[in-house]
Amino acid sequence: MRGGFWRHFDFWLLGAMTVLVIMGITMINSAIAGNIELTVTTPLVNRQIIFAVIGFVFLMGTAAIDYRLWSSMSNTLYVGMIIVLISLNVIGAALFGSARWFTTTLIYIQPSEFAKLVMILSMSHFFVQHMPEIDKPKWALRSLLMAMFLTVWVILQPNLSTSIVLLVIWFVLLWVAGIPVKHLVGYAAAGVTILAITFPLLVQFQLVQDYQVKRILNFVSPDPNARYGDIYNIQQALISIGSGGLFGQGYGHGTQVQLRFLKVRWSDFIFSAISNELGMVGALIVIGLLVFIIWRCLWAARISRDTYGSLVSYGVATLIAFQAIVNIGVNLNLMPATGLTLPFVSYGGSSLLANMIGIGLVESVIMRHKVLEL
Amino acid sequence: MNTPAVPRLKIDRWRIFIFYALLLLGVAVLVFQLINLQVFQYSTRLAQANENRTNVISIPPTRGIIYDRNGYILARNVASYNVVITPASLPNDEADIQNVYRELSALINVPVNNGTVEEAKLLSACVPGPGISQLVQLQETIAPYKPVSIQCNVSEDTARIVREKSMDWPGVSIEVDPVRDYPTGILTSDVVGFLGPIPARDEALYTGQGFQLNRDKVGYSGLEAYFQDLLAGVPGKRVVERDVAGQELSNLEPPIAAQSGYNLVTTIDTRLQKAADAALTGEINYWNAYFGKIRITTGAVIAMNPKTGEILAMVSYPSYENNRMARFIPSYYYNQLAQDPAKPMLNHAVSDQFPPGSVFKLSTATGALNEGVVTLDQIIDAPGQLVLTESFSPNDPGRERPFVDWNAAGFGKIDFLHCIAYSSNVCFYKLGGGYKNEVKQGLGIERLREYARALGYDQKSNIELLGEAAGLIPTPQWKRINRGENWSTGDTYIASVGQGYVLATPLQVLESAATIADDGKHVQPTLVKAITDSSGKVVEIWRDNEANLYQRCTSPTTNQPGWCDTGYGITDQVVFSQCQQKNDNGQMVQGFCGTDEKKQPIFREGAIQESPFTGGHVLWDITKDPVINDFQCDGPYCVPTGNTKTVSPDVVKSIQTGMRMVVTSDPIGTLNAVFSGRTRDFTTPFDIPVAGKTGTAEYCDNVAQAANRCQFGSWPTHAWTVAYGPFNDPEIVVVAFCYNGGEGATVAAPIVRKVLEAYFEIKNIDSTK
Repeated sequence: MRGGFWRHFDFWLLGAMTVLVIMGITMINSAIAGNIELTVTTPLVNRQIIFAVIGFVFLMGTAAIDYRLWSSMSNTLYVGMIIVLISLNVIGAALFGSARWFTTTLIYIQPSEFAKLVMILSMSHFFVQHMPEIDKPKWALRSLLMAMFLTVWVILQPNLSTSIVLLVIWFVLLWVAGIPVKHLVGYAAAGVTILAITFPLLVQFQLVQDYQVKRILNFVSPDPNARYGDIYNIQQALISIGSGGLFGQGYGHGTQVQLRFLKVRWSDFIFSAISNELGMVGALIVIGLLVFIIWRCLWAARISRDTYGSLVSYGVATLIAFQAIVNIGVNLNLMPATGLTLPFVSYGGSSLLANMIGIGLVESVIMRHKVLEL
Repeated sequence: MNTPAVPRLKIDRWRIFIFYALLLLGVAVLVFQLINLQVFQYSTRLAQANENRTNVISIPPTRGIIYDRNGYILARNVASYNVVITPASLPNDEADIQNVYRELSALINVPVNNGTVEEAKLLSACVPGPGISQLVQLQETIAPYKPVSIQCNVSEDTARIVREKSMDWPGVSIEVDPVRDYPTGILTSDVVGFLGPIPARDEALYTGQGFQLNRDKVGYSGLEAYFQDLLAGVPGKRVVERDVAGQELSNLEPPIAAQSGYNLVTTIDTRLQKAADAALTGEINYWNAYFGKIRITTGAVIAMNPKTGEILAMVSYPSYENNRMARFIPSYYYNQLAQDPAKPMLNHAVSDQFPPGSVFKLSTATGALNEGVVTLDQIIDAPGQLVLTESFSPNDPGRERPFVDWNAAGFGKIDFLHCIAYSSNVCFYKLGGGYKNEVKQGLGIERLREYARALGYDQKSNIELLGEAAGLIPTPQWKRINRGENWSTGDTYIASVGQGYVLATPLQVLESAATIADDGKHVQPTLVKAITDSSGKVVEIWRDNEANLYQRCTSPTTNQPGWCDTGYGITDQVVFSQCQQKNDNGQMVQGFCGTDEKKQPIFREGAIQESPFTGGHVLWDITKDPVINDFQCDGPYCVPTGNTKTVSPDVVKSIQTGMRMVVTSDPIGTLNAVFSGRTRDFTTPFDIPVAGKTGTAEYCDNVAQAANRCQFGSWPTHAWTVAYGPFNDPEIVVVAFCYNGGEGATVAAPIVRKVLEAYFEIKNIDSTK
């Protein structure tokens, strides 16, 4: 490795991300004010800062490593992640009704967050290998099987929202790799059929939980006689956002946030908290920064010197874009409630770490985009 | 890592374009919705956010105290101690919490665990059943910063122990709840009444005034109900900021303190009330024991000052214990009261009506003498039975029918005053309906009704009690409508002696005697001497006939002084003035005038100064005010002439003399035996001159019919007596009524004498102080 690569290091991308992370930590600090559980017993802000620092080190490390290394290690990463997920299902602690976490002495690690990165790296590798033959159904199906074999362990946790993210990444990479549109229509029809048949079974065997079905039904047709609790969260989110107005009620002064009417305001609903306290200005800054980061990743995909780098960058862009749009969409009541967090902003160590490593990957692509550079 | 790059494969540009387009679309939708929420829905969402965080707390006012005329307390508020737990203040450690529960459980005898939280949800506060853990768990999910009652109404000692332990038992505390207490209880419950929860029907009204459902109570009967608006006071208000758990953080608006309710000083003298109650129940118990069965089921006694209208005692038998309703209305007790055929919750003195019998002869006598039907020196033959013609129309030849006297032997030839003294039915048949040449032109039902109304019958007295009965003096038209039959001559005969369709409340009988006693002045009976504010200052309060209460105020719109209906508070836009208007009967009457929100004029009849007491409100004076409509009569048929007239003062004097002779005529005067001391109870004469009238009213209601007691000539009878004294300057008039009592002279008269004795004895005691 030569120091010369660093000349192309994208400080704009890093800067935008850093601003978002700092905004996130600042908002978490405001959101949990007064809650002893979250400030003293398990100090969320300190944890997020620790993860941000670790994440920064990992980001730099990842950027320093040539991304093509991951391509060669693709199978190892893929198999390793599956082993981790299986062991999590077997021995993992059942926390919040799902085996999503590894408990260490200090912190919880959520392996499924890193499964997203593995999905990007291994599927990119697969598609680079098989791009010329992607118009043959065999390879598309093989890619599906490969993606599903990783995803199924996350579904079994059960963690539906992360599974969807994993499949979305696979699908976008499949699309970019050039799957013929007519095949896609055929696969989609088959997929819908299979889902329609298996969905009752999934519900039956608790892989799709009652509350998830209820959430979706609630979104599609809100029951006017529903108990207050079923629509409470989303109602409070809308009130929080709306009452923020243009400039917000002020940092640390949002009534919805400070008086705790808004639930999980430090993670899933942090966008509502920002809108409440910082108003539309704050919300647009967050959206703008996210758009800028996604655009920067897409730019990296365009300038990458090889297809693998492009696909990895598209994957990271998809990862951030999908999670961000879904999370904000839920906050704005445009989508049914899911457990997806807002990248870089929401509280959640594993997610922050994984997303920062993703940025590291993109940086690595950007740094090495000039073929003849030495 | 210097391996040569894999040759770059082509990624379709249009695929990337679609990727971009979708992203852009997504972001555009998000921004669009963001603008929608934060710009277009801003005000509604802000209002929702403010509603979330603001909590309007109603501060309960202190209910006014009710006193008797001597300052003795009839209704007050006492502290009731509830043991409460605030879930949010309990210790953090579950073991410590369990420890607190166990120690508390041992003290107040509520189990730590009993039933489930789901079961506890179904019960209202203070109902025993759920364990401490269940109650706290439930409250923790609803409002962790609000205390939940664990045990209600614990003893003062227990309350002290809990308070002492407050350091060891964080979260456990004592809540002091004001509860209505009636020191005189059952003795005055018919007058004072009782409280109950805000009824669903009036929910909007009371919550609009700031009262809180399930906390504040309202009057259900008696003075508590009539003066609800004044006694209850005005709730205060605090607007506080709260968090999601319900913890109060700060006042958002300056708090408004609650205004205590006004106090009520009634005209009741508890000592006389006690005496009247003892006399009535003693008499009833004596006769019921004598006959070996429950014969007299209900009764009433009222004592009033005839000149001022102050009710000194009002007893209704049977009654109920209003203290048992203090905390909540126990269903078993309420059902027991509601299903009792004797209707203990009904005030029989004003809300129940009966045939008055001979006490009604005062009306017939006044009318007959004033209309010239009879003269003072005219001698009337009064045999034991009179055969009269019962006819239903002018051309009906009629049917002969015997009309009997209470005294089968008859009284021989007597004058008008002795007709009253002996209570001769035959004499009054003749006066009321006419008899051959002896009394050529009887009084007739139309004219009898005029005089009865002038004495107070056939109308509500508008005393300060709700649910008053109006009584009934029938007219031919009334009979055609309600009985589907023509008025017969016999109807007039029996109406003349207060039988047939005539109905009256004990209060009306009292009023008729009081009007005669006070030389024709008909005063407003009242239960209120003064209304004072919380500092003891007397407030000026007026009322109309519809139980609306008014106090002086200034109109918020025109700044003009006027009168405000206290039921709506001073902020109400309608400010009344006192005025005179024609009522439905075409008479000019005093009342309150105002205009409602739609600028429509409102007139409310009646304007009586309630407080301070002015020493008697004379509604009319039959010797001065032309309250009698004149009728031209020919036989039993009368037509109004359109003129009005008064009653001659001489006539009133004569009736007084007749009533005096009821007591003095030895030995046949119907009150003579009791007041000269020739009975079981009384061996000495009553030394203060009194006058009165007895009544033995035959009745045949559904109870008597069910018992098959309505046999001709031996119908069951109610016992009545009304009397006043001293004769020359009356200061008390007393009525006693016993349902199915038998003879007025033997059953009701002793009660009246005992009450009169008690009155003069109390007066003696007071004057020697």
